[in-house]
Amino acid sequence: MRVLIPLLLATCIWPVLACKPELPGAKGETVESPKYALVFRTQPEKIEIGQHFSMELALCAKDGAAAPDGIRLDAYMPEHRHGMNYKTTVSSAGAGRYRAEGFMFHMPGRWEYTFEIRAGGATDRLTKSVVLQ
Amino acid sequence: MTKKLLFAGAFALGLCASWIVGVTRADEPGVIEFTETELNRILGHGPWPMQWTPDPSNRASGNMHAIDLGERLFFDEKLSVKHNVSCGTCHIAEYNWTDGVKRNKGQAQVDRNTPTLMNMRHHRWFALDGAADSLWSQSMRPIVDPRELASNATHVAQYLRKDVDLSCRYEKTFGVSPAAQDDEAVLVGVGKVMAAFQETLVTDLTPFDAFRNALARGDQAAASLYPRDARRGLKIFVGKGNCSTCHTGPMFTNGEFHDIGVPHFIDGDGKDGKKVDGGRHDGIKKLIASKFNLLGPYNDDATRSSAIRTTHVKPEHRNFGEFKVPSLRNVGYTGPYMHSGEFLSLEQVIRHYSDLNVDRLHADGEAILKPLRLTQRESADLLAFLLTLDMDRAPPWRGKEYAHPPCVLRAPAAGESYYAP
Repeated sequence: MRVLIPLLLATCIWPVLACKPELPGAKGETVESPKYALVFRTQPEKIEIGQHFSMELALCAKDGAAAPDGIRLDAYMPEHRHGMNYKTTVSSAGAGRYRAEGFMFHMPGRWEYTFEIRAGGATDRLTKSVVLQ
Repeated sequence: MTKKLLFAGAFALGLCASWIVGVTRADEPGVIEFTETELNRILGHGPWPMQWTPDPSNRASGNMHAIDLGERLFFDEKLSVKHNVSCGTCHIAEYNWTDGVKRNKGQAQVDRNTPTLMNMRHHRWFALDGAADSLWSQSMRPIVDPRELASNATHVAQYLRKDVDLSCRYEKTFGVSPAAQDDEAVLVGVGKVMAAFQETLVTDLTPFDAFRNALARGDQAAASLYPRDARRGLKIFVGKGNCSTCHTGPMFTNGEFHDIGVPHFIDGDGKDGKKVDGGRHDGIKKLIASKFNLLGPYNDDATRSSAIRTTHVKPEHRNFGEFKVPSLRNVGYTGPYMHSGEFLSLEQVIRHYSDLNVDRLHADGEAILKPLRLTQRESADLLAFLLTLDMDRAPPWRGKEYAHPPCVLRAPAAGESYYAP
């Protein structure tokens, strides 16, 4: 019974989880909302304070969700109540993949990536925290 | 398996604890403990000096001919229209390449305190408002500012063309005579050789570096030589003071801009004879409008990768009243302090942060800025720490007297250099 219930649940929600974004090469961080899933990694992988970095990202819509029209990327320091001093630019590489340039974290502490996915006139906002020492 | 994990965890914890105790044992009695986060921050303030590669946006960067010509022009008052002011008028070597006054005067008084030129090669933005994205474009600005050298491209270009020796040195640097270039290109060339000279101004190791390096190699005997009051001050700096949140890394600055509640009214034509110094907000506007920024035609970096900061910089309302976070290396030599020279001493700076008036801060500014409420002893400790960021000896002086032979256009001999290493 202990095994059966999770199995049944997994079967019920499988269509929703069917979307699995992938990036070639090394694995990245995964973020999900009820509608979308994305995986990203930064270049360079280790982020240094005061150094610009870029991000590669793959995005997909779960079953029933509208296909993304575009995505906007930013980052914010919730405890400091401010964001970056730079605005990222995002370019599509096709097949749900994107590349963002212009990130820079200028202070140590907790930063929160924000991924704003626009689709059919609505915006879905996903976040992921990262702590810089 | 679980036991093994527990044992490994306990072992790691033991190592960590012994490291902290090991660092502090030399302080007995009266242990000054650094947490792991504090230790990481301390280690992050080095090693010094930082690695450096020539500026790709400036083809004269690191070129010995450019450094020589740049130094000559830096002290040359004939670049100014009245032949009475040079860059060296305000950037004085004995004052750590600043001037020791609140706000200096060229042809007229300027609005801001003169920043030091030390370690300028490691900066991302230049001037207190970051209106320049390269050291060479920043070096051109005072030449043409009516309050400083009050010169112009034509005056500068004609001066270089008429002076045979300078003209020769210019051609040695760029492979082209100033006579063969238009006025603006010569002005840019002058900015680039002056930048090449300023890139040579680097501070030495400090007592703090000796302490930091001793911690890095686990040398407790050497670490114990660091004064106790400075160590307590350092703990405040990387701990409850949160100073190292903005004064980060080996340079003790994140190279960005913040509002810290220093008044930004300056003499002007506004109400009561005052106006607002827009700080970073105006700096970004000037940067974007400048044809000499890294997106413009004078960037020597064909890849334009050096322009990434300029491409992505984002003006925001909170930039009003923001000024560049200064490096704290040699901070004891760089008073008066703050963008307007508001504070004459480091004691006043510490008092400012201790009694910080949060009503003066932007509502959408840095939320972690709070009054530190330091005791008298804590303030003294913080000062003691800051003074360990000074070089032990006076800043290096490079003479105005040139022993070099007159310029001859020829290829340099192998190993030939104008300066001793």
